[in-house]
Amino acid sequence: MSNVGTLNMAGASADAVSDALSGPRGPRPRPRFSRRNIFLYGTLIVVALYYLLPLYVMIVTSLKGMPEIRLGNIFSPPVEITFQPWVKAWAEACTGLNCEGLSRGFWNSVQILIPSVVLSIAIASVNGYALANWRFKGADIFFTILIFGAFIPYQVMLYPLVIILREMGLYGTLWGLVLVHSVFGMPILTLLFRNYFTSLPEELFKAARVDGAGFWGIYLKIMLPMSLPIFVVAIIIQVTGIWNDFLFGVVYTKPDTYPMTVQLNNIVNSVQGVKEYNVNMAATLLTGLVPLFVYFVSGKLFVRGIAAGAVKG
Amino acid sequence: MASVVVRDVSLNFGVVEVLKSLNIEVNQGEFLVLLGPSGCGKSTLLNCIAGLLEVTDGQIFINGKNVTWEQPKDRGIGMVFQSYALYPQMSVEGNLSFGLKNQRLPADEIASRVKRASEILQIEPLLKRKPMALSGGQRQRVAIGRALVRDVDVFLFDEPLSNLDAKLRNELRIEIKRLHQKLENTMIYVTHDQIEAMTLADRIAVMRDGIIQQLDEPQAIYSRPVNRFVAGFIGSPGMNFMEGTLEVSGSPKVKVGDATIDAKGYDFDKKPEAGQKVVFGIRPEHVMIGEMAKSMPYTSEVEIEIVEPMGSDTLSWTKLGGQNFTFRIDSEYAPKEGEKVKIGFDPARASIFDANTDIRL
Amino acid sequence: MADTVETGMIGVDARPARRQQWEKWLIRGIVAAVLLRLAMLMGLSAFFEDLGSVGDWLVEGLPWLCLAVGAAALLPNLSSGIRLQGNRLANHVVGWGIGTALLLIMYFFGPQIQPALSFMGRSARVLVEFTGNQGLFLAAMTALVALSLAVIGSEGQLLHRPGLFERVWAKNLTAKIAAVPMMLVALGVFTGGTIWTVVYSFTDSRLLPREKWVGLAQYERLWGEDRWLISIENLLIYGVCSLVFSIVIGFMLAAMLDQKVRFENTFRTIFLYPFALSFIVTGLVWQWVLNPDFGIQGVIRSLGWESFTFDPLYNQDIVIYGILIAGLWQGTGLIMCLMLAGLRGIDEEIWKAARIDGIPMWKTYLFIVIPMMRPVFITTLVLIASGIVRVYDLVVAQTSGGPGIASEVPAKYVYDKMFLGQNLAQGFSASTMMLLSVLIVLIPWAYLEFGGKERTRRASDV
Repeated sequence: MSNVGTLNMAGASADAVSDALSGPRGPRPRPRFSRRNIFLYGTLIVVALYYLLPLYVMIVTSLKGMPEIRLGNIFSPPVEITFQPWVKAWAEACTGLNCEGLSRGFWNSVQILIPSVVLSIAIASVNGYALANWRFKGADIFFTILIFGAFIPYQVMLYPLVIILREMGLYGTLWGLVLVHSVFGMPILTLLFRNYFTSLPEELFKAARVDGAGFWGIYLKIMLPMSLPIFVVAIIIQVTGIWNDFLFGVVYTKPDTYPMTVQLNNIVNSVQGVKEYNVNMAATLLTGLVPLFVYFVSGKLFVRGIAAGAVKG
Repeated sequence: MASVVVRDVSLNFGVVEVLKSLNIEVNQGEFLVLLGPSGCGKSTLLNCIAGLLEVTDGQIFINGKNVTWEQPKDRGIGMVFQSYALYPQMSVEGNLSFGLKNQRLPADEIASRVKRASEILQIEPLLKRKPMALSGGQRQRVAIGRALVRDVDVFLFDEPLSNLDAKLRNELRIEIKRLHQKLENTMIYVTHDQIEAMTLADRIAVMRDGIIQQLDEPQAIYSRPVNRFVAGFIGSPGMNFMEGTLEVSGSPKVKVGDATIDAKGYDFDKKPEAGQKVVFGIRPEHVMIGEMAKSMPYTSEVEIEIVEPMGSDTLSWTKLGGQNFTFRIDSEYAPKEGEKVKIGFDPARASIFDANTDIRL
Repeated sequence: MADTVETGMIGVDARPARRQQWEKWLIRGIVAAVLLRLAMLMGLSAFFEDLGSVGDWLVEGLPWLCLAVGAAALLPNLSSGIRLQGNRLANHVVGWGIGTALLLIMYFFGPQIQPALSFMGRSARVLVEFTGNQGLFLAAMTALVALSLAVIGSEGQLLHRPGLFERVWAKNLTAKIAAVPMMLVALGVFTGGTIWTVVYSFTDSRLLPREKWVGLAQYERLWGEDRWLISIENLLIYGVCSLVFSIVIGFMLAAMLDQKVRFENTFRTIFLYPFALSFIVTGLVWQWVLNPDFGIQGVIRSLGWESFTFDPLYNQDIVIYGILIAGLWQGTGLIMCLMLAGLRGIDEEIWKAARIDGIPMWKTYLFIVIPMMRPVFITTLVLIASGIVRVYDLVVAQTSGGPGIASEVPAKYVYDKMFLGQNLAQGFSASTMMLLSVLIVLIPWAYLEFGGKERTRRASDV
């Protein structure tokens, strides 16, 4: 409340001049628990509890044994903490006949994630740079199509991509999915990079041209070293986006190569056997750990990423 | 020999004509200033000469070579930008040598050129620093150095001093002038600041709406502006303009309201016509008061309305022939508000424009 | 543009010596020209030949067309150093000449070369195509073009400036090559794929796409199906509620956080973290929280309120609201963040002015701040709307469309028909309907956002 505070102080000191010695002086005393503050913080805390509740339930459930779950309520903390559900979710949980747990999905996801992030960011940053600094005839048209593409329901493009991947011999492979992620990551990332490169001073680009640097020279030696933050933002967007993807995973891969989200859904929603809620929640948490980790580590950059992607668009 | 030739250059952005068939010849070693209000196309023209913008029509020659389709790097130019445009991640040395490395010059050649440039500009102690760690003036020196190391014949300056505070601007202005004397390169300098233009230029091109209004030596532009725009743009405070009609009985006279100014000694470009509507312009600094006024060909008595002291000079506002009139005199002799004073000036130093076409008569 | 007759020569003659290594350029030019001609012919062959379905054509002809475009882009640039007779047209003459030679080679030796090109598959048949009279005709045509260009070129200096072809293709060539992936995606996947789907929605494709046209029959069937109607109804309910609630809640939270509260970062972190989680995780968590035996209902009943009922996921009438709760939990944080960014973007002095004028805070928000934030609201609206149409994972994870078909949504309908139900064309028509609904939102927005403003060109447009 620093801003409000200084305003009040300014007003108070003006009063002090006119009232000489008597009257208000110094900062205005302020009740710590005004009605406004109670309402404000009360609401915020209640809402925060609503947001935290599922995470809490996930954690406590995953640490309980099944008998305890059947007896108690989901909000109570575990009486006896057990890590058995986590082990089972990671290594033993079954989908259909396969009982390798989530680990395979995890490694599949990692194998999809890394090349997808690298490829999509490499392509999009060069595209964004070309659009921002080397505009050519028709660039706007392609860019507009690309941005429209970001809003078009993926369902429309699902099958044509199946055909394209099949013809390339990539349908059902991890590399096919990498390609799909690169394609669908392109609109938002290109927009992100284009906006960023446009915001850099144009004279820098001109100076580099006078200095004789070409397209790649300027990109590698001038633009790249200046754009570390935006690359971090792009990585955050892509890591969470690709890790969380379900639709493309289920369409373009086969059971052997299913990413983690698809496998998670198959484990939890499989109709066979007794439902083991603790294992399910452990599996869910495991799947959510990577994006949560990225989110908590990146902090403000995550916010900047979504804001940059959305507001400027 | 002409160093830079701009021939019939036009530039359109879509339907907007930014440059309209411009022609300029800049001589070897000349300091040319492109002067004009913002949006007049002066920076655009400079970018065209540099090759950063492609012209819609016309040609550009540098040192006798048609460079109209050449890349900026192949044109033999160095350029200094308003925002300095230093590469933030490179040291000063890296900034200076970047262009030379792109030319694939041998390392010792690069080192010697960087050394020479930094000596000339006195930035040797800064070579290892990053641009972030430099002051505005130092940054601009490095930016000039970057043009210097290129060892080119033509220097282009795009408002290089606009981002500096007034004091630094004056210092660097002198330095640029010194640099020009020393290097004797051709320099083309874009600015909206008339003081920079007057002090630096061998010749000034005053531009407006993509057209060169007048291309001449600074003194000529000051004393014989070709039209009302140039007359009003140059000089601070601006020239007094008074609408009137021309009478040609005997010597030509300009009738402004109830005052009649005898334009004896005024060098008419065209033959004045009787009854022609004209604008009579006289610079505030050309007006005298008191004893000095008495010796002037035209005198009148006016009442002072407002006085603006500006330190060394004082600006006085009054009315002449019913129209606003300003004059500037040494503060020591300044009149007071409400005072009646005698003023006088020499119509030979005035400018008379056609009221319809704004062109000098 | 005026011609540049006399002085144009200067530029050519005064070039630095190192750029006159025209032998090198010539070789590269010829290579590029060969590529160009070859690729053009291959691309065209796909048109001439009946290669079966459009899909086949896309697959076989598209790479060739891309190659042709690429080569056409490369040719003038690579050979721009060539100055035979000091004329820019010359390299085009060379190119067309080589094309003629190639056509003649194909005419005479096509069948002999064909086996060597077996790796091209069916496209290699193009060689045989040119053994007939049409091959000779085409060769004659290209020779004529070469000849006419040579004649025009010898006429002279008029053509000294870059030709249209060169200006269009060779300008900023590296940038264009770098943007090829974007162009391929924009045209090949986004435009091409969308059109393909729309076109094939008029067929009766089932397991595989096939061109048996049935007009609007798929759409009639679609709108006659209960499952689709329920999907649409669910989408509408989910869409309207999610729009209203996420904007209202998002804005309120943002406004509260904008009061310079302590721990603002903590609160924001808490509100936003669900957004980092996938819909699958979200769906599964809420499936568990809303579980009637162990979840909220169970807990409250165990507290002694035996008749309490809150089992949205097991009640056909309200199941969509159960999904809505999860969807809001996941997405409101994002909206709050956007709104907060919008609020922070508002000039501080507006608040100061309102304070001095004594306008109460709620009035300032309602009448000053919200109208100022119109662009943010519109962007948010479009963002939510386009997200709503895609809702799929959440439903799959939370309810799998159940109970029964009560929580089906269009995206799930499309997937099920295409990949599980072996009824491709139904999926295509359903996805076309989805596309249509997005366009209804998107087109007016695009007009608002881009229509009114005049596009400013950047000065670096070289």
